[in-house]
Amino acid sequence: MDIHVDKDACVGCGLCVKDCPMHVYELQDSVSVAVRPNNCMGCLSCHEICPAQALEHRGIYAARRHYIDIKVCEMLRKVV
Amino acid sequence: MSAGYIDELHEAFHSDLVYRSEEIPLECSPKPKEMEQTLHGVMKLNGLVIRSLEEIAGRGANAVTYRAGKKFGHEVAKYFQKREDVEGALHELSDLLRGQYSFEVWKPEDKETFIIEENGETFIYLVFHDCIVRQTLRRNGLDQGGPLCQTLFGYVVGAIEEITGRKAKLEIVHTGPNACLKKLVLK
Ligand code: SF4
Ligand code: SF4
Repeated sequence: MDIHVDKDACVGCGLCVKDCPMHVYELQDSVSVAVRPNNCMGCLSCHEICPAQALEHRGIYAARRHYIDIKVCEMLRKVV
Repeated sequence: MSAGYIDELHEAFHSDLVYRSEEIPLECSPKPKEMEQTLHGVMKLNGLVIRSLEEIAGRGANAVTYRAGKKFGHEVAKYFQKREDVEGALHELSDLLRGQYSFEVWKPEDKETFIIEENGETFIYLVFHDCIVRQTLRRNGLDQGGPLCQTLFGYVVGAIEEITGRKAKLEIVHTGPNACLKKLVLK
């Protein structure tokens, strides 16, 4: 897995370090670094928890998302 | 109710289609896009059933759903080829779950093999990617790992037991929005 942390966006909160079950990240100089990217199994919990949206996974399998309500998204797109 | 509306209803449910009972449908009808509302309805209904079951039965809800899933797993896997090797059994299982769930065998980088022996236990890690249960829970804003997940647990355990003839157990290691890590313990 190729994991990229946007160093400028990362606020060093350490939430991804705590939340990742595979201990993929470590904080180094107040910035998250993916030190064990091969241990990532693609759950994307870190994406959900990162307040800075600083994470990027490349080569990940994106699970099907039938639960997304297209009608609601269409409405949101009109206002956002 | 106005006659106009009743006529409209009759119109909507009338067609010139000639339907013969021996005809076997070759494709799903209506098209998947048109089934979106139905799918959301089913997900909402399942979510409500599970929420109510939890309210009434508390922690016992897990036992009910696990048992239901296990029975289903045994029932469905009855018709599959019996295999003693775990790899073959997992292959059968992925065929069985196709379309609703997809999974792969996984290992952390410090492990040499997929079948791991640790603290007297033999297990395999499974990463579940596509999962209709996860989608239903997220559709309803419910937590993962509860009674609805137990149906899948029971299903997998029942099917593995049926295919291999060995006792098995499935444990949650982690639940995420895009994939969940599970541990299949073989006895
Ligand atoms: S996707 Fe999951 S396993 Fe991978 S780095 Fe994020 S939290 Fe860890
Ligand atoms: S959760 Fe996001 S902001 Fe916080 S340390 Fe991790 S990458 Fe940085």
